[in-house]
Amino acid sequence: MKLLPLAIRNVSRTCQRTIVTTAAMGFAGFIMIFYASLMEGLLQASERNAVGMNLGDIQIHAEGYRYDPDLYKRIENAGALVRRLEQEGFHATQRVYGFGLAAAGSASAGVQLRGIDLDHEATVTQIHRHVMEGAWLDETDPRGVVIGRKLARTLGVEPGHEVVIVGQASDGSMANDLYTVRGILKSVGEEIDRAGFFMVVSSFRELMVVPEGAHEIAIMRANRASDLGLATRAIAELAPDLETMNWRQLRPVIARVLDTADASLLFMLLITYVAVAMVVLNAMLMSVFERIHELGVMRAVGVTPWQLMKLVYAETLVQVVTAAAIALATGWPVSLYFETKGIDLSTIASGASFGGVAIDPIWYTHVTVQSVLFPIAVLFLVAAVAVIYPAVKAAVIQPVKAIYHR
Amino acid sequence: MKLGKMAWRNLWRSKRRTVITGLSIAFGVFLSVTFTGTGDYMYTNIIDTSATMGFGHVTVEPAGYHQTPTLDKRLRDSRQIRENVLKMPEVTDAMVRIMGQAMFASATKTIGGSFLAIDPAQESAEYNLLIGSLVEGSLFPGTDGRGAVVGSIMAEKLNLGIGKKLVYTTTDVYGEIVSELARVSGIFKTGVDEVDGGMILLPIDRVRATLHYDAEDATLISVLIRDQRDAGGVSDQISGAIGNPDREVLTWRKTQAEVAGLVTLDRNANYLSQVLVGLLIAAGILNTLLMSVLQRSREFGVMMAVGMPPGTLFKLILLESCWLAVLGIFLGSLITAPWFAYLANVGIDFSGIIGEDYSASGVLVDPLIRIRLFKESLIAIVSGVFALTLLSGIYPAYRAVRTPPVESLKTI
Repeated sequence: MKLLPLAIRNVSRTCQRTIVTTAAMGFAGFIMIFYASLMEGLLQASERNAVGMNLGDIQIHAEGYRYDPDLYKRIENAGALVRRLEQEGFHATQRVYGFGLAAAGSASAGVQLRGIDLDHEATVTQIHRHVMEGAWLDETDPRGVVIGRKLARTLGVEPGHEVVIVGQASDGSMANDLYTVRGILKSVGEEIDRAGFFMVVSSFRELMVVPEGAHEIAIMRANRASDLGLATRAIAELAPDLETMNWRQLRPVIARVLDTADASLLFMLLITYVAVAMVVLNAMLMSVFERIHELGVMRAVGVTPWQLMKLVYAETLVQVVTAAAIALATGWPVSLYFETKGIDLSTIASGASFGGVAIDPIWYTHVTVQSVLFPIAVLFLVAAVAVIYPAVKAAVIQPVKAIYHR
Repeated sequence: MKLGKMAWRNLWRSKRRTVITGLSIAFGVFLSVTFTGTGDYMYTNIIDTSATMGFGHVTVEPAGYHQTPTLDKRLRDSRQIRENVLKMPEVTDAMVRIMGQAMFASATKTIGGSFLAIDPAQESAEYNLLIGSLVEGSLFPGTDGRGAVVGSIMAEKLNLGIGKKLVYTTTDVYGEIVSELARVSGIFKTGVDEVDGGMILLPIDRVRATLHYDAEDATLISVLIRDQRDAGGVSDQISGAIGNPDREVLTWRKTQAEVAGLVTLDRNANYLSQVLVGLLIAAGILNTLLMSVLQRSREFGVMMAVGMPPGTLFKLILLESCWLAVLGIFLGSLITAPWFAYLANVGIDFSGIIGEDYSASGVLVDPLIRIRLFKESLIAIVSGVFALTLLSGIYPAYRAVRTPPVESLKTI
């Protein structure tokens, strides 16, 4: 028996039903490809905001600094350690932190002063590209500072405005100086948005009287696909007596959310596809019941139950393949389009965050092999499960009864 | 002719098909109720929690404070405003507060953060998350003592314990830098790192003296209301009652914009996925009705030949789809009711996935998800089901009417 041509003919006999069923499946597939690509893009953006803007893959601190961020708990040989890490093929940068009160006009706010080594920082994080207004730090402008967006609002400042910093320097003296706001950052995460006060490392050392050492070394692997745990252990060996942690350990909440993203995508797929499964089930069931008489005749002339089951499956397959083609032909290009042209949600969602990491207000898709093929694969699976009942129903008919069925 | 009865009987001529279609609608109802209901619960929870973190559902502020929250802006007659606000029936509580930025220093260290100056007599654990999250010590008793309640992370960073001293530095009403000493009387732990590491409660009169404020000056009045959905109405009511260009009355959507953004984002995503599933279910309904119409073209031919006007036939098919919707909602209620009761009373614990310390836009999210359905959500779901079913009935009804009687009679 020529199964496939027969299936195609059978399917085209009820043209309208086939169109509605196939269109429903194709539409669901299209949406799911787009959804999966969007999720992929959002995850990337979240990881980028968490890791690529501030954390880096791995961080080194002096023992106990994270729980008790003390100006004196420094990594003393930080410069040498950064060079050593770079020899090993990592990107690394040292940072120095302190606290102070920033005042502008009659407004004031407690800030976290962040001394940034500009050349090295750019190899580790992308924060220099994340400026909302004005410009990023520049060595030639030692008094220019860049601040978080909520801090800018609290202080009521814009690029060009002056800010006074008051704090306690490491030698016990009063740290006090005047700076000019060079730039304001886009949303990065709660901590930086509220209190981030970025300055050139040399200005920080001068202000806080910290001539050497660093509070934090942030490291980025040259190859992001390499094993994070291994790299963490390798770096821990290079930095004895210091605390080495990777971003998953530093931000367990984010790591957890990103880890469960696959599960939530599958959940969404299943929910949507249950609706699709019902459409398929009903359509195929109708088509079997309409043809009881015909199927009975087929049985009578020697078609086996197994062949009838295969026929119902082949009919479904024809529709699913068409639907998959529609889903691919629409979902793929649409997802690719939004890879470069983001969906701007800044009017409703600017400043929203989860687990302390900013949600990017512009959503980009990211098309991967998985984001395109996974929804298609699940579509096939769901359709296959949905037609079990109609297929079995077709197989178990009694030829004699069926022939007299009207 | 009893059209409704006829439609109902027509539906049951192919039981299996009707039941499957009804079940697919029921599935849609189930999903919609679950998604919307958990959303209604979760958003209310997040909004209410956020409201207890300083600003309330509705906030009365000096004009311009929202743009740049500096301490030179103040409300001059906070007591009077509070008394007026408390008279409103929707309002559960109102608190006079001063909120500002400061630098906090212990013997060795300094960190930045914000302070919330309060009158303990007006506050309660229920409407002030920080007081409700006290883990050590207690709230300071009076309004002009030197007490302070600090977050657990700040206490750790500054190496503070009960009875230890700290100094806060801020700018006063004239923009001058001022400092004051306080002694830790309590420590709170909300679970949100930014709050535990950057917020402190201080007695309001002591802060007024430090900032050179007058006796009734404050920077905000936080108003808590019974139902967060009324925030807009209450805010209009308050600004009507105390209208004055020197003051602004803002809802949580303005003062806690990050929370509002998150809720709007999540709610829209939620609606979108429901509409998507709804469309797919509609395709199923369309298929069913279309098949049943095409199968019965001979019957329709006979009916029209004996004098049934096309309009009545059209109505008949739409009534059939209406009955499908009713059946779907009925089946949906049957399968959803036990699930809803379970979610409402027990809930699902997501702490294994998101942990106990998951915060969104600076608000701790309870990992125990429960359900509650607002009346308007229920109405939206029911009308959504009817709208989709009726819409998918239009084309089949049109097909049924279009076939001329004579032609349909020829088909077998």
